[in-house]
Amino acid sequence: MNIPEGILCSKTHEWVLEGDGNVTVGLTDWAVEQLGDVVFIELPEVGSNYSKDEVFATIESVKAASEIYMPISGEIIEVNEQLINSPELINEDSYAAWLVKVKPSNFQEDTEGLMEYDDYKDEVQ
Amino acid sequence: MDIQNQNKKTYLYDEHIKLKAKMVPFGGWIMPVQYEGIIKEHNATREFAGLFDVSHMGEVYIKGKDSLDYLQSIVPQNIKELKEGCAMYCQLPNKEGGLIDDLIIYNVKNIEIEADYFIVINASRIDVDIPFMKEESKKFEVEVINKSDDFSMLALQGPNSKLIIKQLGVELDEQPKFFTIKETELDKIPVLLTRTGYTGEDGFEIVFENKYAEELWNKILSYHKEYGVVPVGLGARDTLRLEAGLPLYGHELNEKTTPIESSLGFFVPKDKNEEYNGKSLILAQKLKQKPLRKKLFAFVMEDRQIARNDYEVYIDGKKAGYVTSGAPSPTLGKNIGFCMIDFENLTPSLVTRLNNPQESLGMNIQVMVRNKLCNAKLTKKPFVKKNYEK
Repeated sequence: MNIPEGILCSKTHEWVLEGDGNVTVGLTDWAVEQLGDVVFIELPEVGSNYSKDEVFATIESVKAASEIYMPISGEIIEVNEQLINSPELINEDSYAAWLVKVKPSNFQEDTEGLMEYDDYKDEVQ
Repeated sequence: MDIQNQNKKTYLYDEHIKLKAKMVPFGGWIMPVQYEGIIKEHNATREFAGLFDVSHMGEVYIKGKDSLDYLQSIVPQNIKELKEGCAMYCQLPNKEGGLIDDLIIYNVKNIEIEADYFIVINASRIDVDIPFMKEESKKFEVEVINKSDDFSMLALQGPNSKLIIKQLGVELDEQPKFFTIKETELDKIPVLLTRTGYTGEDGFEIVFENKYAEELWNKILSYHKEYGVVPVGLGARDTLRLEAGLPLYGHELNEKTTPIESSLGFFVPKDKNEEYNGKSLILAQKLKQKPLRKKLFAFVMEDRQIARNDYEVYIDGKKAGYVTSGAPSPTLGKNIGFCMIDFENLTPSLVTRLNNPQESLGMNIQVMVRNKLCNAKLTKKPFVKKNYEK
């Protein structure tokens, strides 16, 4: 597993990576390891808008369902369709298996409270 | 939250930590929920063997002149038919017929322990069961002794279990048969060995003094290479019992629901003469002389969503009950569950259909998952065929 350079992580275990004005959003490896075997992922519809900290997706392990929070406000422009039929991909590499791509509406301000990966790791351990 | 301060540890706690188990609070205990992963552990138990620390379960000794009469007065089952060395799955109803617990009673009169009957009860119910059982015993010449702190308990489940027990010194034809108990030794450790379990597979439960816990646990796991045995946590214990159609106290069973309403009617005899707590309602429901107020059904999801405990259930667009347990079934690759349908809110014609297995099996229901009604169908239990060796 390769941790992408420049990702920012939230306290609720989502990561964001900016590129070309859009932002890719996923779940951290630490969060996925806590969940165990992932068996179901529900993703939002392309074109829908979410505010920062709003629930936009659900991930389910054998044991329980967990909500995933939007780390930044914006419009969903793409979802990782592969995860619908193969949710287990997220157990293999939660950085390759991103969840959604977002067109951010307030990126600078929304990312102020996010942490660099190393700081996030220190915080969760 | 410091879960370790609020909850008791079994004598195998350090072993679970060494195996890097994820520990969770459960029924007043801190227990392993998984080691390598729930699906792996589930499949290993179905294919080879799984070893479970079930030391949190409670154990009770019943002894005295009136042991039999006493038990007859507290369970719907006919303990007169429980022969020496045999086990019976029983329920412990309150005066209204709701269930205080479910339990396994062993007749151990032929075994050299200080009891006539040995009972295994749920960990989460020890503090309720013991005072209740003691209060009920006052009318009898009988002693109810809580032995829960004196014993550790392992469950070894799966088709290779008998081969591992053989390696530990008990030949196949010396092993207890289905739903019986034997006093024996496993690699020189004195144990009570029973052919019971909670997975739907052939297997054993092993009760012994706490001081042997670590030794026996590691001895059994040393057969991993030969027989594929792995440690299994509560996560897979739940999916295994759910597939086997077995109820869990606090989910399918509770103090407001009779055994008939929890679909345990099979275990309730029609012809037991003795009085027992809750008999008037339980027996009348069994004989169809009184209506069920609700009923437990098994279901399979048709849509992709997973139904979870407490999700609402709808029939014909109206709220009809709630999910008591739900999970993905690793064996079937489908999402399954149990739901309690409340008959008091339904039309008489729908209740009639639900009471008729020919009409209720295959009936469409919906489960509310995150504000969306998802399709499911009522089905038969068990979901996965039991592999008991009888």
